[in-house]
Amino acid sequence: MRILVVEDERKVARALEQGLAAESYAVTVAHSGEDGFFRVSSESFDLVVLDVMLPGRSGIEVLSAMRRRGLKTPVLVLTAKDAIEDRVIGLDAGADDYLVKPFAFPELSARIRALLRRGKQETTLTLQVDDLHMDLIGRTVRRGAQQLDLTPREYEVLEYLLRHRDQVVSREMLARDVWKEMVRHSPIDNVIDVHMVRIRRKVDEGFPTKLVHTVRGVGFVLKGEKS
Amino acid sequence: MIGFRTRNVRTRLTVWYVAVLAAALVIYAGIASTVMVLQLRSELDRLAIEDLETVEGFLTPAPDGSVSLRNDYHDHPYPADVQQRLMEVWSADGKLLYRNEVLGGRALSGPPTPGEGVNSYSERSVRLADGTPVRLVSRHHLLEGRATVIRVGFSEEPLWARFWQVLIGLIIGLPLALGLAGLGGYFLARKALSPIDRMARRAHEINAEHLSARLDVENPADELGRLAAAFNETLARIEHSFEQLRRFTSDASHELRTPLTAIRAVGEVGLREKGTPEHYREVIGSMLEEAARLTRLVESLLTISRADSGQLPLAVSEITVLPFVREITSLLEVLAEEKAQHIVVSGNERALVKADRGVLRQVLINLLDNAVKYSPAGGTISVRVRPAGQTVAVEVEDGGPGIAPEHRVRVFDRFYRIDEARSREAGGAGLGLAIAKWGAEAHSGRIELECPASGGCIFRLTLPGEESRAIPERDIREASEIVR
Repeated sequence: MRILVVEDERKVARALEQGLAAESYAVTVAHSGEDGFFRVSSESFDLVVLDVMLPGRSGIEVLSAMRRRGLKTPVLVLTAKDAIEDRVIGLDAGADDYLVKPFAFPELSARIRALLRRGKQETTLTLQVDDLHMDLIGRTVRRGAQQLDLTPREYEVLEYLLRHRDQVVSREMLARDVWKEMVRHSPIDNVIDVHMVRIRRKVDEGFPTKLVHTVRGVGFVLKGEKS
Repeated sequence: MIGFRTRNVRTRLTVWYVAVLAAALVIYAGIASTVMVLQLRSELDRLAIEDLETVEGFLTPAPDGSVSLRNDYHDHPYPADVQQRLMEVWSADGKLLYRNEVLGGRALSGPPTPGEGVNSYSERSVRLADGTPVRLVSRHHLLEGRATVIRVGFSEEPLWARFWQVLIGLIIGLPLALGLAGLGGYFLARKALSPIDRMARRAHEINAEHLSARLDVENPADELGRLAAAFNETLARIEHSFEQLRRFTSDASHELRTPLTAIRAVGEVGLREKGTPEHYREVIGSMLEEAARLTRLVESLLTISRADSGQLPLAVSEITVLPFVREITSLLEVLAEEKAQHIVVSGNERALVKADRGVLRQVLINLLDNAVKYSPAGGTISVRVRPAGQTVAVEVEDGGPGIAPEHRVRVFDRFYRIDEARSREAGGAGLGLAIAKWGAEAHSGRIELECPASGGCIFRLTLPGEESRAIPERDIREASEIVR
């Protein structure tokens, strides 16, 4: 999978390059709008990560020019402003998704996976990590032979973790995707933490292998021993 | 006068004043002299009529058909200021019968016009051949059966002489009076306006560094006093918001500096020691936590600054309060459960408010989170919804220790914390209640704090709303159950 990152801030660009390379993407970095547009029109990419605030040619201009040329490569827009107008402008210009700076890397990585996966039919009926099984039809969870008694919210969180197995899930992602909270405030983070404590207790207590892990400062990850 | 501009008001005032006065004086002079002329003329008319009546009795027809005036008439006393009488007698058919010596052969007027003096005395002003203006009264008179017209007149020359005398006097006096008035007006205007100059000088001295200075109010009741008072009020408001801004900036930078300091300290210390990968993971994780805190803080500040500049548009819709409150309590319930607290929601099912869901949600979350944070373990938090006329109140009562009176006013201030160390540990930046207050006020509502003597705190959010007339779904359900 080839990804083009158009970002003028060198530190951020380098972090993205390394982070995405670590997830086995082939990453190309462009530091200006012109360079980005030149590369996207001369090479072939599976996805473009595009900063809006670029020197010279703005990300929105690059995006519009791409779409005018008929390039259908999925584009994820990075914007420093989270004013609604900016999002609308970005989406109108043909962006497939947007992310507001400062963003958490796990979130970017999750969005990229979602965009690359887009259009592919989901056929899974069960999710599994090690001996943790989730039945999506019956909405039941068991660890080994033992049935876990989860509240609906706990079930949703666990499902989200299972779907993102082996990937770090940030509090921002949980707040937005599970709690559907648009505004970020500390009470929600506390609520998420309490739920995670309870889920961990139900999933891991009494089992030698711990599946739910906290990545300090970033979020949570559901990880089996085998993976 | 449009477009007339001078450098100062007092000159402008004086010029206007003099111009208006000049116009008034000219009109006055015109009216006064006209009235005088008319009065003198009617005096002449009266004299002439009197004379004419006397003359009628003294006329005697001569045998040759002419007419003479009896000699004893001349003994009739003249008023001192009236010149000699001019007199003519005409026959009705246009023959001159008599002309007195004073006229000296000048015609007083031509032959009588038809109907002249027939019904009453007819008065008119004429000019003699040499240009002398004359006031003339005619009267039809039967002299021994013969129709005659007697004309008696007086020269108007003295009258016009008086007129010009008065007019010239006025014309000479006018500029003099205007000059005096202008001078007086100028000094009066300068005296009246001098406080404004003083105010301007004083206002120039007031700047961002000396916002506490005020203008002197000499007489609070007069116009200038009111102006100075209004100016002072504006200054007070500016000073207040300046002070708020200064405090906000210093508080905000303090809040931002705290996580930044932590990031630096943790990073620097972490680099100095040679550690295991786990150790480095801890260090980086700790730095990321602070970065997350910074992010949240910046987001809150952004919300506040947008709210301040009115850039947050409200998407107002009708909200049934109680279910909305239940939704939020169920969201935060886990936090209460962790502390073995109970959240009790009660109130009117039909209370409606018109509000922005997102903003109202944030307000209620902040209030409830606050209540959970400050209630002791095992305590009870009550949320009550009660409509009151045109408003709906949502009360959040905690079981905490209450808030000391000196803190009550300031709990809604930005960055205000009652207990610095403890609240920071709890994760807040002291913006929750400030945002709640903004949210209430953005909906033309208000938020109040009440601390009963029995302990605890009641935060009361009051929003414009009403008690809906519609029957809530629950009642319908209950009703249908009864029917079944």
